[in-house]
Amino acid sequence: MFDNLIARAIVPVTIAVTGFVIFGCLLLYSFIKSDMTAEAVRHVDDLVVTVYKSTHYAMMEDDRDSLRNILANVDTLDGVERVRIYDPQGTPKFSDFEQEPVGKTFAPEVDRWSTSLMKDGHPERESTQYKVDHDNGFIAVTMPILNEPQCSTAACHFHADSKPVLGFLSIGLSSANLEKTLALLRSRMIAFSVMVLFLTVGGVTALLRVNLFLPILRLTYNVEQAATGTAEADLPESDHKLGKLNRDFRTLVRQRDQAWQDLKALEPAGRESDDRPDESRTGGAPAGHQSVAETGSGQDQEA
Amino acid sequence: MRKQVQAKIKRLELRSSSGLWLLALFTLLSMAAFRDFAILPSLSEEVHAFLGKGPNPYMINWALVVYAFSALIMVLTQMAGNKKPASGLPHFAYLGGFYGFYHLTYSLEENFWAVFVVGLTILGLQSYHIWNYYHEQIQEQKEILAELDKLVD
Repeated sequence: MFDNLIARAIVPVTIAVTGFVIFGCLLLYSFIKSDMTAEAVRHVDDLVVTVYKSTHYAMMEDDRDSLRNILANVDTLDGVERVRIYDPQGTPKFSDFEQEPVGKTFAPEVDRWSTSLMKDGHPERESTQYKVDHDNGFIAVTMPILNEPQCSTAACHFHADSKPVLGFLSIGLSSANLEKTLALLRSRMIAFSVMVLFLTVGGVTALLRVNLFLPILRLTYNVEQAATGTAEADLPESDHKLGKLNRDFRTLVRQRDQAWQDLKALEPAGRESDDRPDESRTGGAPAGHQSVAETGSGQDQEA
Repeated sequence: MRKQVQAKIKRLELRSSSGLWLLALFTLLSMAAFRDFAILPSLSEEVHAFLGKGPNPYMINWALVVYAFSALIMVLTQMAGNKKPASGLPHFAYLGGFYGFYHLTYSLEENFWAVFVVGLTILGLQSYHIWNYYHEQIQEQKEILAELDKLVD
């Protein structure tokens, strides 16, 4: 199969184009996915900061009802499945307990991840942490509520000055929209890659066939005909895509025909019938006397 | 003389299949990478500390793009010039390096398929070139062998 000229020319092109297009799409998808995920995380981060600032006054005033109301309202937002405020030990203090999500939910995953960050001695305990879980379809943020000077001096409730973290705010949002957009992007990229592959490989094949393989096939056919004794005048007309090669071949055949004619003119008339040197070499066909009609046109042959 | 030609044909046949061996080796490496090199013992904290912080996966991605593009151009240039094919071992080493870097930066899962496709493409083209090149040489030697047989007869 690979001895075939067409296969030899097209296989490397197909491998290189297919491989590079698939690789390019994979990498492009990976870049776009991380950019979109970063944007979604920024959006969630903004929401967490908004919630934090909204609850700040209620926490300073130790207004538990307001705090509960704020969290309940945030919980009604589209996509929010978990809003909790934990104490420094990781015990939930204010939460969406009353509206515990039903059915398939990622809330337990968010809780597990959040509480693991709240353990004493965790290196990232005092900084905001993000988790994007494409498999379970959520984006979660855990933000430490840091001890401010107003907290340790507040009259309503007291926090020791030495405690850097007073609690944690944890929010888990569904990433269903992000996953949907990524899935759409994936299917579009697959369709685009298939189109590019077909067009590139098909285009290269068609161009090679028209400009190279067909002229070579015609020349090969003409060479075969000439080898069996067909005269130059009887050979099928060639296109001019192979240029000098084709012209030189026809010149050679013409010279051979001329040589035969000269040889015939030199031979005595009596020996002409039983002494024809070219017949034995050309498989018995009389040189220069085979018409195209007998041999076919060669247009429909393949390499 | 005849035996020398036959021995040369055998040598060329062995060389012509070297690309396929490399592809098989890369497939094995990729299988290990697919499992995040779970068959290998994990590196200790000291080794991690010694190696330092790995490069950003973005940088590795760009390095992979540059490498893939250059390697494909190189292999295609070799093929176009019908030059003697270089060994595919450096490519195998580079691809192994990319798997290693992604593994150390904990981003192998996301980028496994990109490295795998690049590897298959580059090594596939390389082994096709190796096979093609040595196959032509084998044909030449077989023609010589046929001529020698004619002389003997």
